[in-house]
Amino acid sequence: MVKVGEGNSRAATFQPHLGRLSPIEIYHARLGRLGKAWQRDLSSLSSGWEVLLGITGRDFTLIAASKAAMRGATILKASDDKTRQLNKHTLMAFMGEAGDTVQFAEYIQANAQLYSMRNETDLSPSALAHFVRGELASSLRSRKPYNVNLLLGGVDPITHKPSLYWLDYLATLAPLPYAAHGYAQYYCLSILDKHHHPDISLGQGIKLLTLCIDELKRRLPVDFKGMVVKAVTKDGIVDIEFDDDKVVKSA
Amino acid sequence: MPGFDFSNYNRNAALHARGVPLPKATSTGTTIVGCIFEGGVVIAADTRATSGPIVADKNCEKLHYISPNIWCAGAGTAADTEFTTALISSQLELHSLSTGRKPRVVTCMTMLKQHLFRYQGHIGAYLVVAGVDPTGTHLFTVHAHGSTDKLPYVTMGSGSLAAMSVFETQWKPQLTQEEAVALCSEAIQSGIFNDLGSGSNVDVAIITGEKTTLKRNYIKPNERVPKLKSYIFKRGTTAVLNEKIIRKEDLGNFVSVHELAVEETGDKMEVDA
Amino acid sequence: MVGKDCVAIACDLRLGLQALTVSNNFPKIFQYGDNVFLGLTGLATDLSTVSDLFRYKVNMYRLREERNIAPKTFANLVSSSLYEKRFGPYFVSPVVAGLDPKTSKPFICGFDSIGCIDFAADFIVSGTATDQLYGMCESLWEPNLAPEDLFETISQALMSAVDRDALSGWGAHVYIIEKDKVTKRLLKGRQD
Repeated sequence: MVKVGEGNSRAATFQPHLGRLSPIEIYHARLGRLGKAWQRDLSSLSSGWEVLLGITGRDFTLIAASKAAMRGATILKASDDKTRQLNKHTLMAFMGEAGDTVQFAEYIQANAQLYSMRNETDLSPSALAHFVRGELASSLRSRKPYNVNLLLGGVDPITHKPSLYWLDYLATLAPLPYAAHGYAQYYCLSILDKHHHPDISLGQGIKLLTLCIDELKRRLPVDFKGMVVKAVTKDGIVDIEFDDDKVVKSA
Repeated sequence: MPGFDFSNYNRNAALHARGVPLPKATSTGTTIVGCIFEGGVVIAADTRATSGPIVADKNCEKLHYISPNIWCAGAGTAADTEFTTALISSQLELHSLSTGRKPRVVTCMTMLKQHLFRYQGHIGAYLVVAGVDPTGTHLFTVHAHGSTDKLPYVTMGSGSLAAMSVFETQWKPQLTQEEAVALCSEAIQSGIFNDLGSGSNVDVAIITGEKTTLKRNYIKPNERVPKLKSYIFKRGTTAVLNEKIIRKEDLGNFVSVHELAVEETGDKMEVDA
Repeated sequence: MVGKDCVAIACDLRLGLQALTVSNNFPKIFQYGDNVFLGLTGLATDLSTVSDLFRYKVNMYRLREERNIAPKTFANLVSSSLYEKRFGPYFVSPVVAGLDPKTSKPFICGFDSIGCIDFAADFIVSGTATDQLYGMCESLWEPNLAPEDLFETISQALMSAVDRDALSGWGAHVYIIEKDKVTKRLLKGRQD
């Protein structure tokens, strides 16, 4: 502590800067606040191997999620549906920590449905995405935050414009033409960068999705037990039959 | 033999293993000083703000207003010095309004130290408080942990050692105003040139019983030489993919008001009872 | 960046998690009045939180005062809002640019994450490419640039800086703010 008579040069010792934090300092400060959770290696989590994919096109948004429910090194279920329908035109896919995911998704689903009942109108995908972000942001500041990453896809009921929102557990929100979560990002984003076009038809979208999933089957070290694929169009949400048994030969 | 010279590598690694810290590449901070003279007090500061090794602001203001007759020089975390002085200034104004007396320097110093002590040093404000009030001329230092000093001449910040050396060699009792200003600016310049965390210009505030004079950029020993040539890019250098111009007069186009045809069915809403 | 009777503010468009780029169309400049602009860098989630918070605060100001907020007032709003969170700050370093509604004088300033204002007469930089931007702006900027020249200067400074930062780039937005018009340009930038 500062002693009488010798405290003059203390400014430099205690708070070493007059002025601005550099981005690096901010980055390290952030690591401090989030602790290990931020740095955690995806591979040490069973949720790291889950796959979420989303693609928008001319008049649709495709959402795909892996079917495997994993816990540690065990696959508990091979027909898991990691999506929830929020209203007629909006679908949300989720991955993350085991209990958090369904709890959070169904909380959002219930609130979306409550809104639709009370107001006799659905929230737009954009409004829902911002609502979800708000909930995640307040969760992040709570004692135990939800560890959930989401994709929210929809078609605007009025303008019929398709949209896709990427959200992570830090409440980062990004509207994107195509998106992925988990390790799938590293494999699929480059494929989508090359082949995606905003004007593709649903058929072309499914082809593109197949291209991505084939690559995941080829490269991911675990079997994610195929994908649940759903398409949001102006007429609502439809399940897409997807051939999970297709064998992809590795190089 | 071409290549790198590794001759110091093993020595430095051994020194580091023995607990000798690696040389610090950068220094940060500030130089602020204060000095009492016959009939008043003068405080002075440099104008450099740093973030790590980067000079964030080349001409910032470190002399803060508390009341017309009390001023503060701040070192440490910039935001803390700024907001702590503003907070105390506001409380002191209300205090003097309710008591109907001129604010006193001890009051200010006490409020500052109590505020800073409450936060146990987490508010990184290191201040030199100076002023003239009905009880006389005062000069204090306040540290972030809440300790205070009362001295005829004071220095603070990372440049405090450089500045103090000037005071210790040149200070004498019963200085005149001109001598005090010269001594303080000499001390600040010693910080500017010998401490890496301090730099740019000298700001001075002179407080006497009659008035306060703030001399912003009293000495500018580090003026940038103007560029000898203009390096403007030729217009059209940058590739633009898309351009949108919004003119003030066109802003009306983005907001439109339409009269809606009123359907004459059912009851009209009662507007007035 | 300040010019003659004009100011400019520019940002890149990348959103990334360390080395992985999530989005290449994520603007970081927000408008809070006819000629009050806020640029934000830092953690993406705090970017959204902070920009939404200021939209709310500025809208409340407009309703209460029945006038638009001036850049200087807005800067103080930003500063005090950030300092409020002194011991648990938002991880953002904002930049404000605008023209004074009465005098039309250019105004720019920057902040650290706890709200210390850096008033500058020339330029303010922020973000992962801060060091590079300081170098570029310090050498390219000169006083009294006309709007067209200011555009070239700020664009070239930004593009050169982000090309030397692996974490920034993927195109840029540049706003040139003048007394009676605002020009927004999308720049062609490297996509790597």
